[in-house]
Parts: sequence; structure tokens; C-alpha cells
Amino acid sequence: MLEDVVVIVGAGHAGVHAAVRLAAWPGRVVVIDEQSGETYERPPLSKDFLKAEGQGDASIPPLRKEQFFADKSIERVHGRVESIDRRAHLVHIAGGRSIAYTKLILAPGSAPRALRIPGGSLTGVHLLKTRDDAVALRDALRPGRRVVIVGAGYIGLEVAAAAAVIGCETTVLEYADRVMSRVTSHPVSAFFERLHTEHGTRFVFGAEVTAISGDGHVESVMTADGSSYPADVVVAGIGVVPNHHLAEAAGLDVRDGIIVDADSRTSDPDVYACGDATRLVDAEAGVDRRLESIQSAQAQATNAANSIMGSARGKDEVPWFWTIQHGVRLQTAGLRRPDDQIVLRGRFADGRCTVLYVRDGRLAALDTVGSLSDFTAGKKLIARATPIDVDAAADVSIKLGEAIPAPQTSTL
Amino acid sequence: MTTATQTVINVVDRDGASRSVEWEPGQTLMETLRDNDFEVLASCGGTASCATCHVFLDKSIVDELGERSEDELELLEESEHYDANRSRLSCQVDAREALDGATVTVAPEED
Ligand SMILES: Cc1cc2nc3c(=O)[nH]c(=O)nc-3n(C[C@H](O)[C@H](O)[C@H](O)COP(=O)(O)OP(=O)(O)OC[C@H]3O[C@@H](n4cnc5c(N)ncnc54)[C@H](O)[C@@H]3O)c2cc1C
Ligand code: FES
Repeated sequence: MLEDVVVIVGAGHAGVHAAVRLAAWPGRVVVIDEQSGETYERPPLSKDFLKAEGQGDASIPPLRKEQFFADKSIERVHGRVESIDRRAHLVHIAGGRSIAYTKLILAPGSAPRALRIPGGSLTGVHLLKTRDDAVALRDALRPGRRVVIVGAGYIGLEVAAAAAVIGCETTVLEYADRVMSRVTSHPVSAFFERLHTEHGTRFVFGAEVTAISGDGHVESVMTADGSSYPADVVVAGIGVVPNHHLAEAAGLDVRDGIIVDADSRTSDPDVYACGDATRLVDAEAGVDRRLESIQSAQAQATNAANSIMGSARGKDEVPWFWTIQHGVRLQTAGLRRPDDQIVLRGRFADGRCTVLYVRDGRLAALDTVGSLSDFTAGKKLIARATPIDVDAAADVSIKLGEAIPAPQTSTL
Repeated sequence: MTTATQTVINVVDRDGASRSVEWEPGQTLMETLRDNDFEVLASCGGTASCATCHVFLDKSIVDELGERSEDELELLEESEHYDANRSRLSCQVDAREALDGATVTVAPEED
């Protein structure tokens, strides 16, 4: 009799989480990844790791020790999946090997967007996505080097913080008019811009990078207004693109991400997808989005595993994300919209402030700077779509969890 | 035979079942729990950002381990199951001799 097999493509945050969640699956579980060696946590790559002295990559924590996979009889295969034959239920791996699946989980993640400009592939230009990228970048960040970072998003800013602390001359070129403009509001951007400026990082906003010059190795970065920024190291932090090509070639529905439903199922009932590579579309709930976060990758992986095992879907978790820059922690919960009402709780001047995003009288999202208690309490209010008393919420002497309107006493 | 570096702890899972596991040097308690398949989500990878690695230890051990960081305390204090005497974020606990033979109870999931 043929055995049921779940094949997982990708051993990153989503793929490994799905494998762990399938531990109770009676059949085989096979995880394939093009990268060799232990699985690993990605968040440290742009944070403490860059500042850590020392050799190699020993300090990057694994997602699970290799022994874990052996203990759980999860098979690990090293190789790049090149195509999927959905009719034959086979994945083809570079080099000629094929593996049959009963159910397939695609978790191939995303690829960092490269600088497609003249000089974009000179040596000295770095992207930051993998363990190897992080090792190369760490070795390049040396005191006194001139580091030009393109993009003031999470990755660009985390790298800027590390570079500045190491003692590099750090410049961030950003097309928008403020930092993290895609993910947060003006007050939070302003606070982080100041924080980085105080640590010696220079920002240039409205900067469109057009070319990088150098003879083999980078020498300077050019912008559309004719300016030129001398550089020994260039780091591109200009976003990621979903790895959806494999799915697209296999004829699955794809639109800037592999389209999945709330169970992480693709347009083929035997194929699931989770993590950075996906776009969650749930017309009924009005959801159509792509998220790049550990929380989302784990939640989608859990849903895929539950669906395969026939168990109930877990409860929806509020999307959340964190970043640490110069020791200051920014935690975001929920998904804000630019037209949300902004309510400040606390003062940035005190190094501790929460920005609440209120929509239709309810807490929709929040950013906490240095306040973890507000994060946890607020995340619960968001999950429950709780009506919020805006005046109370702005008052730090009242706990955020208690900033809700008094219950209406019903009159007959 | 137990060597000086070997730490064995007794872990009580959410369903009440308990089991002894070996704690490898260099790992945090969270990593040990996760590697041994206990239900700690640990979404933040051990950076004291998520509180999904909340455990209870004996008060005497919590005392011996010393101060919790501000971040850890803030997260713990907001959890529904916070116990001032016994709560820790397992990702913030490193292997110590003090923990040999200790009982670690995985805190209930937040609602
Ligand atoms: C430097 C850095 C810092 C980050 N910091 C944070 C943070 O602080 N908080 C947060 O929430 N998120 C953070 N993220 C984002 C987070 O890491 C991603 O959202 C998450 O890793 C997505 O998980 P995934 O499994 O979809 O993709 P990945 O973890 O990227 O894993 C995908 C895996 O699939 C493999 N693969 C791809 N194609 C194939 C193929 N054809 N065949 C075989 N294998 C394949 C890849 O090599 C990779 O190993 C960070 C990301 C980076 C790069
Ligand atoms: S793993 Fe997130 S707080 Fe411990």
C-alpha cells in the first residue's frame, strides 16, 4: 500500500513550523530546502548578529536542532525544487530526483529585491536575506567604512543601527519622505529618524538611486538629482518579492504571491502554501494581503497542517511584528490604515510611547515604542475589536486594557 | 552517570503530562522546550517580544535566578496567567546548575 506523504518545499520559518505541526501525521513528512546546513532564525541576521564579533555563523540559533527532525522522523532533503507536476503528484528536484506527494506545502519564502540599476551587482553591494548574506555583510561592516544603505524600511534601519554602532560612516538613501513610511505613521517615523540621527546616521529623503559606480568594487552611489555618495559598502533594503514562480509555472493561482485561503489552501486542494510567498485572499472577510512576518508564517503553517490532519482551524491571531533599533523596541499589532484616527499614549520624549490607530471607534492597530505592557494589552483589544474610550486610552495613568467605554446601562 | 554539565529537568506540559528532558549547555530553556516538542510557540525566537514561552518554576528557583529584565516583567505582568512568584519567560532563562532537577510547567495558552 502506498504511504501518505506530505512534502514541504522550504525549511524556513513557515516550512519548519508546518513540519513541527505535522508531527502527529501518521505518514511521511519530507522537508526540502535549497540551502544546506541547519535551519535558522532570520530575525537575528539583521540585528545582534551584525554587531557580534567573531567568526562564522555559530551564533545564529537554529529553528530546530537537526536531531529534532531525526527524532520526529521528519526527512530532510537538500535540493532545489524546480517544478511541480500536479497531475502526477510529484516534485522534481534539480539533479534529477523526484519525490511523490499526497499533499504538498509550498513555503519558499521571498527574495530580496535587487538594485536593478547600472553597477547594482558590483562587489560591495549587499542584500540581506540568508545566513550567508549576513556573514558577508558582518565581515564588510568595519569601523570607519562608508556604508550607504538604500531603503529606510525595517531591514535598512536595523542594518543602519548596527553599522553606526560598529563605527561606520552611515548614510541612508530613501525615496519616500520619512523612515518606515510603508509600515508606520508620521510620529513613529519621526521618533526613529531622530534616534538614528543621534547615533550619527545621515538620512537623505526623496532620493532616487540611479546608479552605482566603481571599478569592480563599489565606489559611490548616484541619485537622480545628480548627487553622489562615496561608499565602501552598499546595502539594498528595498523590499522582497514573493517566490511564487514555482507555483505559477504549475498553474496555481498567483497574484503577487501564491493565492491561499484561510486554511492556507491554494487553488489546488492538494497543495497548500504559507509564509512570505503567499497572498491571503478571503473575499468574505474582506482580506487580500501579503504579509512578511514570522507571526503570519507560523499562523499559516499551523492552518495548513491542521487542514491536512483534518483538525479544526486555530483562532485567528492578530498580525504582529517587531523590530529593534539602537536598543529601542518597536512592536506593531494589527494592520493600520493611513486614514485611521491617531491617538498618542505617552510622550516620545520619554522614550516610551504608544500610537493607537482607531477605526470606527475601535482599536484597529497599534505601535508601541518601548512599552511591552501596552503591546500585550492592546493586542487583545484589537483581537476583540473592542470599542475604545479615546480619552482614557491617551491617559497613561489608566491601563490600556481598561480604556474601554463604560457599559451602557439599558433603560426600558 | 551524570556529569557536572548535564542538566536534567522535569517538564509538565499543558495537558498535565510530565517528562524528563536533558538541557544542553548553551541553550535557553525555551530552546530546550521547543527542541523537546513542548508546546511553546516562541514566535519571537527568544527576543522577549511575544510571551508565548511563558513557564512556571518553583519560587526558590525564580529567586535564585535573580532579576527579570524590564521587558520580561512587562510582558509577564500582562499575561492572564502571571504569577509573580513563579512566572518566567523561558527564552530569558539560561542553563544553570540551579535548574538541575527542577520542575518547569508550561503556562496555559493566552486566550
Ligand atoms: C534579515 C531579516 C530579518 C527579519 N526580521 C524579522 C523580525 O524581526 N520579525 C519578523 O516577524 N519577521 C522578520 N523577518 C521576516 C521573516 O523572516 C519572514 O517573514 C519569514 O522568514 C517568512 O518565512 P518563510 O518560511 O515564508 O520564508 P523563509 O524563512 O525565507 O524560508 C523559505 C525557504 O525556502 C527555501 N526555498 C525557496 N525556494 C526553494 C525551492 N525552489 N526549493 C527548495 N527550497 C526553496 C529558501 O532557501 C528558504 O530557506 C526578517 C527577515 C529577514 C531576511
Ligand atoms: S520566545 Fe518570545 S518572549 Fe520568549
